[in-house]
Amino acid sequence: MLFAIVAVPFFSGMLMFLPFSKPVRLWFVLGAAFAHLVFCGCFWRSMPCSEFNEFLTLDPLGLIVLSIISGVFCLIAVYAIGYYVHEQRSNRTFCACLLFLLASMTLVTLCNHLGLLWVALASTTLFAAPLISFHRCPESLEATWKYLLVCSVGVALALMGTFFLAFAGHEVQTLFLSDIINGKILLSGRWLKLAVIFMSVGYGCKMGLAPMHSWKPAAYGQATGMVAALMSSVVTLCSFLAFCRIGQICAKSGLSDFYSSLLFIMGGLSLVIAPVLILGEGGLKRVLAYSSVENMGILVLGLGFGGLGVFAALFHMVNNALSKAVMFLTAGSIAQKYGSTRVSHVRGVVHAYPVTGVFLLIGLFAGTGMFPFATFHSELMVINAAIISRHYGLAALFVASLSLMFIGMTRIIFEMSQGPATAPVLAKQENFWMNVAIALPVLALVILGLWMPAPLEIMLRKAAGLLTPGVV
Amino acid sequence: MMTTWINASCILVVFLALSILASYRMAGMIHLFAAQSLVVGLVPLFLRQFSLSQNDLMIVAITIVSKSFITPNILFWAIRHVPTRAEVKPLIGIGASLLVSALLIAVAFWVAASLQLPGLSKSNLVLPCSLAAVLLGFMLLVTRTRAISQVVGYLVMENGIFLFALSLFDAMPILIEMGILLDVFVAVFIMAIVVNHINEEFSRQPMTLVRSKMGENT
Repeated sequence: MLFAIVAVPFFSGMLMFLPFSKPVRLWFVLGAAFAHLVFCGCFWRSMPCSEFNEFLTLDPLGLIVLSIISGVFCLIAVYAIGYYVHEQRSNRTFCACLLFLLASMTLVTLCNHLGLLWVALASTTLFAAPLISFHRCPESLEATWKYLLVCSVGVALALMGTFFLAFAGHEVQTLFLSDIINGKILLSGRWLKLAVIFMSVGYGCKMGLAPMHSWKPAAYGQATGMVAALMSSVVTLCSFLAFCRIGQICAKSGLSDFYSSLLFIMGGLSLVIAPVLILGEGGLKRVLAYSSVENMGILVLGLGFGGLGVFAALFHMVNNALSKAVMFLTAGSIAQKYGSTRVSHVRGVVHAYPVTGVFLLIGLFAGTGMFPFATFHSELMVINAAIISRHYGLAALFVASLSLMFIGMTRIIFEMSQGPATAPVLAKQENFWMNVAIALPVLALVILGLWMPAPLEIMLRKAAGLLTPGVV
Repeated sequence: MMTTWINASCILVVFLALSILASYRMAGMIHLFAAQSLVVGLVPLFLRQFSLSQNDLMIVAITIVSKSFITPNILFWAIRHVPTRAEVKPLIGIGASLLVSALLIAVAFWVAASLQLPGLSKSNLVLPCSLAAVLLGFMLLVTRTRAISQVVGYLVMENGIFLFALSLFDAMPILIEMGILLDVFVAVFIMAIVVNHINEEFSRQPMTLVRSKMGENT
């Protein structure tokens, strides 16, 4: 079962190189996405057992991330059908890379071996890179280059960290997560600390945390809406999952405090830098990229607070994925209609395209954590966790950062949605498929904001329990 | 006896990294990188005293073939149409960057001195030399402006990590080792394709990436 869920998207990706017509490829991607979703649903009914000498194992944490990936990917597949109505170029590489990316992200969630985790995470970078240079202009090439280089180097540091972790074992050297966590081996402190630092910096680079975030605005700004949505909502989650795995190891080896302080530095910096840099931006997608930097900061801070914070971070992980999907997909449909997402080119979206304009405003409120969207609850929970764990300074920083972020995003999004309408250039009408793909996550965010389904809550508690044994 | 060989190859790796930093020409850099990869690839032979199992032999063969033959050729392919093959305006001059690298090597040895390899180390030069290679590769990556030198910098870093990893052979299952090699290889492949596109797009200017105000586009 576990092998199949990786194999289905991978081999479908291979099939994309056959000479199909454009619509056939898109429907095929949608089919593969639904097959993936069905597999995922089966895993919720009964947890599959581990495969390949325990290299592949699914735990509650992995299952949650896997479900988010599967769900968001389905949305992207639906959206792509609408998007390609107005797109002339071939979609062979695009569809193939999308499916390969899905396969490697799925593999990340199933890894029980830290070496394999590295291999899977590094390959997500490689499959995402061709997707960014979708438009093949100098700027998008520069963005691709930046992304490829920064993430490859970052991930190389994480590889070094992984090796250090293997060295940390006193007698037995293993990188199997289950062996490390079940206490079969003893880890020496100094090597372990070094490993944790290298891995956090490396995977932090990939996740786009503050000092290493420079690729994010460039890459998300140049990538087309669906790719940016996929990257900001789920590819970053894969790196966050790596952070959770490191957290599991640290909790086991009594290094939680050390790890927390590391997370506070990176998360705090993200919360400071994102709202400062957002003020000078004039492009919607670049603004959303800074919002993504901030949200990544919130996730690692939640993880650092421990206890309730971990639960809050995991819940925010779900909500952030959904809200980023809404925002970037809307940005994508604006880009297709106006040929740009800069404020100077786009005005009065609400008047010209009522549905897209409303989605733009909903995206603003969902992304900045307003009631009744679920992001409101998860952000509140993170603040709560900060106060419970007596990090008053960080709690204050958190609130200040959220408010500044709200101002920064409102400024640009209100300017785009209101005012006299500029004439659209390319697509003249709203597209049904695209709007469906945006409406579904909005609906999910509202439902999650008002009512938490019991199975999800149980699974989130189980996953949080993996990171903070004995607390939840 | 074997320790001498291991020490010699570790020092050679650092020395070659230094030579890469000192060279102006693209072709020279790539050749030196190929030589460095060959040395790194041979290290397991010395570690195992030439009595390798079939798996180990396979890794050695694949490392050498992919890193020191195929990768350099891909890099040459990426710059095949570039008229000027010399470094343009590095951020730090060659002389100064060599001085900084001397410092970096000292730092690597200082860090390594405070860390003990548990038990299995056959040579106490593996850790400092691999750290030095990583730092030198990083240095190359951040001080050079041409895309291809940045790729070489990344690869030198990767070689440093590999040197370290090879002394760890037992903990890494062969499949994972292959996966890591494959990932690095594909990374170089994709980077080369992007470099190729960059060359086409920026054909008027040399390969230096122009720092423009990033704009949205269709």
